[in-house]
Amino acid sequence: MIEALLQTLLNGAASGGVYALVALGYTLVFSVLGVINFAQGALFSVGGYLTFLLMGGKIGVNGALPGWGLPEGLPFWLALLLAAAGSGLIGLLVERLAFAPLRRRNAEPLLALITSLGAGVVLVNLLQLLMGAEGYAFPQSTDALAGLPDVLVLGGARIRTIQLLLLLISAAAVLVLSLWLDRSKGGRALRAVAEDATTAQLLGIHSEAMVRLAFFLSGGLAGLGGGLIGVSVSLPGPYFGIGYGLKGLAVLVLGGLGSVPGAIAGGLLMGLAEALVPSSASGWRDALAFAILFGVLLLRPSGLLGRRTVEKV
Amino acid sequence: MSQPLLEVRDLSRRFGGLLALDRVSLAVQPGEIFGLIGPNGAGKTTLFNLISGVTPPSSGAVLWRGAAITGQQPHRLNRLGLARTFQNLRLFEGLSVLDNLLVPLQRHPRTSTAAGVLNSASHRRAERQRLDTAWQLLEELGLSALAERQAGTLAYGDRRRLEMARALATRPALLLLDEPAAGLNPAEKDQLCELIGALRQRHQLTVMIIEHHVPLLMRLCDRLAVLDFGVRIALGTPEEVRRDPQVIEAYLGTGTGGNAS
Repeated sequence: MIEALLQTLLNGAASGGVYALVALGYTLVFSVLGVINFAQGALFSVGGYLTFLLMGGKIGVNGALPGWGLPEGLPFWLALLLAAAGSGLIGLLVERLAFAPLRRRNAEPLLALITSLGAGVVLVNLLQLLMGAEGYAFPQSTDALAGLPDVLVLGGARIRTIQLLLLLISAAAVLVLSLWLDRSKGGRALRAVAEDATTAQLLGIHSEAMVRLAFFLSGGLAGLGGGLIGVSVSLPGPYFGIGYGLKGLAVLVLGGLGSVPGAIAGGLLMGLAEALVPSSASGWRDALAFAILFGVLLLRPSGLLGRRTVEKV
Repeated sequence: MSQPLLEVRDLSRRFGGLLALDRVSLAVQPGEIFGLIGPNGAGKTTLFNLISGVTPPSSGAVLWRGAAITGQQPHRLNRLGLARTFQNLRLFEGLSVLDNLLVPLQRHPRTSTAAGVLNSASHRRAERQRLDTAWQLLEELGLSALAERQAGTLAYGDRRRLEMARALATRPALLLLDEPAAGLNPAEKDQLCELIGALRQRHQLTVMIIEHHVPLLMRLCDRLAVLDFGVRIALGTPEEVRRDPQVIEAYLGTGTGGNAS
């Protein structure tokens, strides 16, 4: 009983951590530009597939290069890190193609919702073209988790190692990012640009570079989430990131737009709530998630930890 | 005269059908306090926006120590030594007073991100130096008691001074002040006047100042330019400008130098 509960809570916290990663990605871009990057879910998929390939996975029969793959798989840690960086770079590309041209022309910021959605669709379809629509399971070798056993026994409870790693890695990423935003000079510059890009630029900050940094980090967080979920569950198809993207969006609104602690709290709440739904009723998980969102928004329209109003939109 | 610090040549800016600035030329000498006056809508803030790179000019040139800087990006101009404040304050309201200063100070001195990650000795020394500079500026502008407060919660006069401190933190050679006395009471205006003079001395500043309060300008400025409907109608010492018939007609009205704001 205790064992089952512990496992359930850990599962919940682990997926909550991933939701928080996605939501933080939205938050970074939102706070700097005041818009939502709808390609976030697609970048999540990209991260999952990149991790798969870097760990030595082979492209399936429906892909563009059937049977192709790296001759030698990289260790889990390295693959995850590189996949996150790769997703960050693709995030930069999304910025360049879907956001920068609109910004240069002083277009209505809302238009970026459409262009980023379009960029997301293109990315997902590219994935499908390259990798096929089939699902992929990660190569299950013993050293996939850098020599750690698949199952750990903690206080008498058997838990899957990957779930624990999921939680620890998301927590570490969130922690590092918050500290960086809070304490470092780069973080301070990003916050300044988020408040007022023109003024920051008049004070010697290269605002455009900070915007690009936000997109890189945001894409990296999504890619990290995708890689973690891929290793933990599997890759059910190129669209799998979209669901997480939407869930991240719900978490973002739940926690409060633009609030970093809100994104973390919202992610954990959402993950734990879902995990407490018994597996016999698993079809209700998403319904519960969005019911929580409705409930919270009825009571607190600006989200759990959101600021009163958001002027930028 | 020596080479001007800043020169604008035939600068024009058109917004749709409106010619906001019409071939304005002027030169600011190193060390002087240069005033800009003119009725509302005369193009004063537009001129500041063109000089500081916020808006590109439609035609004409801006020169910095004799070299063309027209149309350069604001952060580049700032790194050359040009800083400004805004008529309607633009502080980072969600950041603390101290952080408002640390944002521009992060380039003074410059350190690499890698040094920050490694928290190297040179990086720690630089951070210390930045904090020292920030506290010094807060001290100078009478804001040290407010360092930890969120900028958005400050009283109006304090915000004005914080914006000035923030501009100074970028180590400018030229400071553009857009109506720094707006909304201040007479006593505060007097203090501001002295403050600007003192800051010029201590920071070897050249100052360009837009102000509606004419007595303050007359007292403070070495030279003045008068704009009216985007055209520079006069330029000279306060005495010369005060006597200029075109200025009297366009702006001063009675010509007695009364409060025209």
